[in-house]
This record gives sequence, structure tokens and C-alpha cells, in this order.
Amino acid sequence: MSRLSGMLAGSLLALSALPLGAAAESGKSWTIYGGDTANTRFSALTQINRGNVSKLRVAWVAQLGSLEAQESTPLVVDDTLFVTTSAGPRYVYALNAKDGTPKWKYAPEIPGDVQQTTCCGLDNRGVAYAGGKLFLGRLDAHLVALDASTGKELWKTQVVDYHEGAAITSPPILVKNLVITGYAGGEYGVRGAITAYDQDTGKQVWRTHTVPAAGEPAAETWKNDSWKFGGGAAWLVGSYDPQLNLVYYGASNPSPWGASVRGPDTSDYGKFTNLYTASTLALDADTGKIVWHYQTTPYDTWDYDGVNELVLADLDINGQKTPVGLKADRNGFFYVLNRQTGALISAQPFVMVNWAKEIDLKTGRPVEVPERRPRLDVWAKDICPNLFGGKNWEPMAYNPQTGLVYIPTFNLCMDLVGRKEERKKGAFYLAEEFDLDKPGPGGFMSEMVAWDPISQKRVWGSKEELPFMGGALTTGGGLVFHGNIQGWFKALDAKTGEELWKFNAGSGISQGAITYELDGKQYVAVVSGRLKTPPSFLGHTGERIFASSPEGGALFVFELPD
Amino acid sequence: MGQPSGMQVRPAKVAAAIFAGASMLAVFFGLPSAARYARADDPAVSAKNSYEGDAGQAATGRGLFNQYCAHCHGPNAVSPDPPRDLRRLKRSYGENMANVFHFTVTHGRPDKGMPNWTGRLDDETLWTIFAFLQTVQAEP
Ligand code: HEC
Repeated sequence: MSRLSGMLAGSLLALSALPLGAAAESGKSWTIYGGDTANTRFSALTQINRGNVSKLRVAWVAQLGSLEAQESTPLVVDDTLFVTTSAGPRYVYALNAKDGTPKWKYAPEIPGDVQQTTCCGLDNRGVAYAGGKLFLGRLDAHLVALDASTGKELWKTQVVDYHEGAAITSPPILVKNLVITGYAGGEYGVRGAITAYDQDTGKQVWRTHTVPAAGEPAAETWKNDSWKFGGGAAWLVGSYDPQLNLVYYGASNPSPWGASVRGPDTSDYGKFTNLYTASTLALDADTGKIVWHYQTTPYDTWDYDGVNELVLADLDINGQKTPVGLKADRNGFFYVLNRQTGALISAQPFVMVNWAKEIDLKTGRPVEVPERRPRLDVWAKDICPNLFGGKNWEPMAYNPQTGLVYIPTFNLCMDLVGRKEERKKGAFYLAEEFDLDKPGPGGFMSEMVAWDPISQKRVWGSKEELPFMGGALTTGGGLVFHGNIQGWFKALDAKTGEELWKFNAGSGISQGAITYELDGKQYVAVVSGRLKTPPSFLGHTGERIFASSPEGGALFVFELPD
Repeated sequence: MGQPSGMQVRPAKVAAAIFAGASMLAVFFGLPSAARYARADDPAVSAKNSYEGDAGQAATGRGLFNQYCAHCHGPNAVSPDPPRDLRRLKRSYGENMANVFHFTVTHGRPDKGMPNWTGRLDDETLWTIFAFLQTVQAEP
């Protein structure tokens, strides 16, 4: 508890001057995607707890009016709940957080052809809130500001031309007067960037490319002019440390997946690491300057990406309270980094990993198993994890009371081979053939893993038959909430993983839940609406997933009986 | 590509009329409408698939399919999503399957997420992929 309050108090002090709303102050609201700028998805609320969660019941439901892939984390500011839908988004709704009564709805005109330039479904993960405004990234790669009380569009700016194969699927992060966003496009040969705009005007303040141009530092890590279509898309959410004034973003896989155009096409890649792809970047919030970077998968060819959210915590490392960043990487390793310097503290596999033996603590690099690196026309078989990763975007949660991180993991493997391919603007640019339909051993395809980040050991696991389990929420009530692709929403004991309650929402749940308190009553809210595109990559397993729950689109809000 | 030759004009018109009828029926019965996507005067109708029944082509086509199409249509064309399940082409379009295939791939359905492959994959490659798709069609 002391660690938590210390940290929250610290961030709140620094944030109090900022128009960031109530933040996780009392744990009563939920004003930012990850629960706080540290992305912990922890709420201190205790009214719903281990003792009474079995009585949880539906308070109200909101139909979202759009099917498939609901990935929104709702926000609650005062008595208003904001939630976005899939497909653009098709809608942003403001609802009364107590009973779901609609206040307003925003329905943007999104061009139909964005379908082609979104790799993995028509998803939207939500909005960001500050000072009476909402900020939203869209699939047409525009960023807009809305009046939070009316839904009226205040400004709109193009972040990048979506015809290149770019899209925005995640909410921006808000720092001081800035709204900061990345964009997706690592499957289309888009060159990634992170950009800051003025919250009031939408004018660009800084832009930092995640892949250097010729002549810039780190350009030598790219073969020939492969940097031009190099990927490194920052498509997930950032974190922010107000004391260090650092913004943290992950950058995706390099483009194309097939590595032969980007370097020597072997595990002995030398200088061809392809910076700053598959990396975590720490940027100075005021200037966008890269202060440090940590590349988890140098010269990636497995689509191990690098975007997973960095969760900020202060941990006791060898008796020393240390500001760390925690990352459950797609590549299967759990990294603990010093978030001030980027120095590696420890890294251990949190799922079955066979493409690398370990992370060399001196160099910070994976020790590769060469036959598990696919090459041009040379298959690599049974690589684990597969390209969905040990963990994908579905968020993990860190509970400072148990000291554990709750990670929604995958147990899937794959075969890959490199192919020759030309890039064409707006078309997939993978240069790889793949078979992803290879369940890992053990008869399960996903698992909620409770992980001790200090000892780097697993504490418990709760297995799921099918992949794509939902993200985590953890609370002061000693609970972990998560959904699964069949549509079950569950509460587990945070200490033991024991299942205490479940509810069938009728369509798959992939985003993490939120919790908030209004008029003395605690609520838990989660969106339901099964993923469509990523499971389609899986062939027969995809057929099982589609059979297990239909498309959907609803927000469920739960409460205890009076 | 280029215009249909004069020879084809008449059959194309007849076919167009049939298509129009079929599409009205389709609308009426809620059946998948071939005419919405495939035009009878598409020169590919006469081009047809020169690799029909050629097992070697089908094997090559499988590889090409898995490289270019599988991330949307599933590995080996195994897709759980009906609009994207290309094992249903024959059931949906019957005789017109080759035509719909060629037209869709060379025009795309941009608003539905299907890219236009013109300029990226040539006809020979497309028909090689088609030869593979023919081997995985669901029974009518
Ligand atoms: C970016 C995703 C994507 C890629 C890549 C893609 N397709 Fe499609 N394709 C679609 C979607 C989505 C549809 C369904 C459109 C609809 O709902 O009408 C479709 C439809 C089709 C259809 C018509 C199916 C029907 O029943 O009417 C054919 C034929 C087709 N695709 C062939 C291909 C081939 C061959 C390739 C590879 C060269 C390919 N597609 C690559 C997304 C894709």
C-alpha cells in the first residue's frame, strides 16, 4: 500500500497543475486508458472484494451499435462514462455513468476504404480526457478533439496519410498542453513516428520518427535504403512519468517481416539491428527527443513487435527503491528496466520461448536459436511464441498490494518463411509466409499469469482453452477481472487465481475492465464484442473461436445488490 | 486488360441480362449476388483458368495464397468468417466462380477490405492461386 500511495501521490503532485482531470486520485474515477499514466490498471476501490464478488450482478447495459472487435477502455469523469465503438470508431458515446442514459453521441465520417489499411480489425481502444476535452485517434489516421460536454468536434488534424497503410487505433496520451500519438502501419511498410500536438489548437509541436532517415544517428542499422519503409509503428498507448518528464512508447516490428531486405538474414546480424523497431523508447515530453531506447528484439523477423505497454512502478530491487518500467514483450520475455536510464535489470521468459535461449544481461540482447529464425525461402518450424506474442495489446495490470503483475498470455507457436516481395503503397508488405495455427503444449491456448516482477517468477496461472483472452484489471478488493473470447467475464482471487465469479456476456471480451465509484457505490464496466480479424489468421483454431461466440457490441456495467 | 472484342458483345449482353435477373432474385431471396461484383463483359470470362486441374500449379498456388492472401483469408484458405471464406466460392457463384474471382481480385472491394491486386500480381499468378482455390472448394 505504501508503495502505491507513494507513487500515486508523487504523480498527482506533479499532475495537479495539469488539466488531467481527477486521474486515479481516489480510485473513484477512471480518467485515462491505463487507469493512470503508469498504465497499472489498478484501482484502490475495495467495496467489491473477495468476500462479496460472487453477488455481482448487471446494473445496466449499453448497446454500442457496431459489431465486432470492441476494444475500448471506457473513461469515467465525474458522472459521465465515455466509450468508443469499433469501426472507425463508428460512435463515441457519453452516457450517464449511473444508469447508462445517453448524453450525446459522436458519429464521425470515416471513409469506407480504411478497411484495407487496417491490419487487424476495425478497432478503437478509446479516448483520452483533459480539461473538458476528449481526444480521439481514428482509423483514417486523423486526431480530433471533442467538447466533452457536447461531443462537438473542436479540431481535427491529419497525423499521417492513411492511404500509406496507417491507422490510429489507440488513445493518445496527454502531457501538460500536449496530446501525443503514434500510429499503426508496420504491416504496410509505413515509417513510424510519435507526434505531439497542442491540445487547444491541434497544431503540431514535435514529431519524432521511430526509424532514422539516411544520415541520422542509427541509420547504419538499416541495409541500403530499407529504412524508408521500415515500420516501427507506435500503435499502442504510451506511459508518462511526470517526475522524469519522460513519455514511453513501444515501436512495432520492422517492415517487412521478412528480414532479407533489412540486413544479412541471419542470427549473426552485426550492426543491422534496425533501430528503433521492436523497442521501447523514452522521449523527453517537451521536445520529443529520444532520451533512451531499449530494443527487445533486434533485427526482428517474427513480428515480435515491441509496442506492449510499459507499466511504471517503484520496486525494491536489491534493497533499493528503483523506478522501473515493466514490459511483457511479444517476444515472450518479461523485462524490468530502470525507467530513468533504460538499463536492463532483469529479463525472464513468462511463456514458453524457444526462439532464444535467454537475454544476455550484459548486452541486453536475446541469445538466438538460429534454426528458429526464418530466412528467405528457408522455413523455421515450431517457433514459440507465435507472432501474437507471449502477450499482445490486451493490457496487463500491476497490483502494488500483491506486488504481482497479471499478464494475459498466449500459448501458440508458428512456422515462418521469408519471401521476396515488392512494397506497394497501402498494401500489406510482409514478405513472409506463415502458419500460425499451432497450439502450444498443455491443452490450453491462453492463460492469465500472475508474475512476480522482482523474483521474475510465475506465482499462479489460470488457463483458458482458446487464445485471445481479455486484458486485466486488479483492485484493492484483492481481485483480478478479465474476460475471454467466449464472452465469459471473470473475477479471480488476486493472490491465488481462484475463480470467484463469472458472467456470460455473450460475445468475446478482449479489453480490460475498469472500475469506478459514484454516490458511494462501486461499479465494474467492460465491453464485449468478439475479435474477428486476428482469429481469422488462425485457420481451424479461428473456426473454433468463431463458433464459440458471435460478433457483438455492448457495454456491461456491474454492481453489488443494495 | 483492354476492351472485350466485338465477338463477345452479344454473349456479354445476354449474360448481363441473366445477371440482372439473377441479382434481382438474389436481392429478393437474400442470396449472395454475383452480379454486384462480377461483370459479364469482363474479358477474364473468356480468359478462364488455363491451369484447371493442374496439380503442380495448385501446389504453387497454395504457397502464393499463403504469402499474399492468408492473413485475410486464413492459412490454406481456412477462414471462419463467411464473407472471407474462399472455400465457399463455388457454392456462392457456381459456374461464375472464375469470373467473380478474377473480377474481385483485379478490382478489389475497397470499402469491404479486399484490396485491388492489379499491378501487383499478374494474371498468371492469379490463375495459379485460383488453381489452388479450386482444390479446396466445399461440396455444393
Ligand atoms: C487485406 C485483407 C485481404 C487480402 C490481403 C485479400 N483479401 Fe480477398 N477479401 C477480403 C475481404 C474482407 C473480402 C470480403 C469482401 C466482402 O465482404 O464482400 C474478400 C473477398 C475476396 C473474394 C470474393 C469472395 C466472395 O465470396 O465474394 C475473393 C475471390 C478474394 N477475396 C480473393 C483474394 C485473393 C486471391 C487474395 C490474395 C491475392 C486476397 N483476396 C487477399 C480481404 C482480403
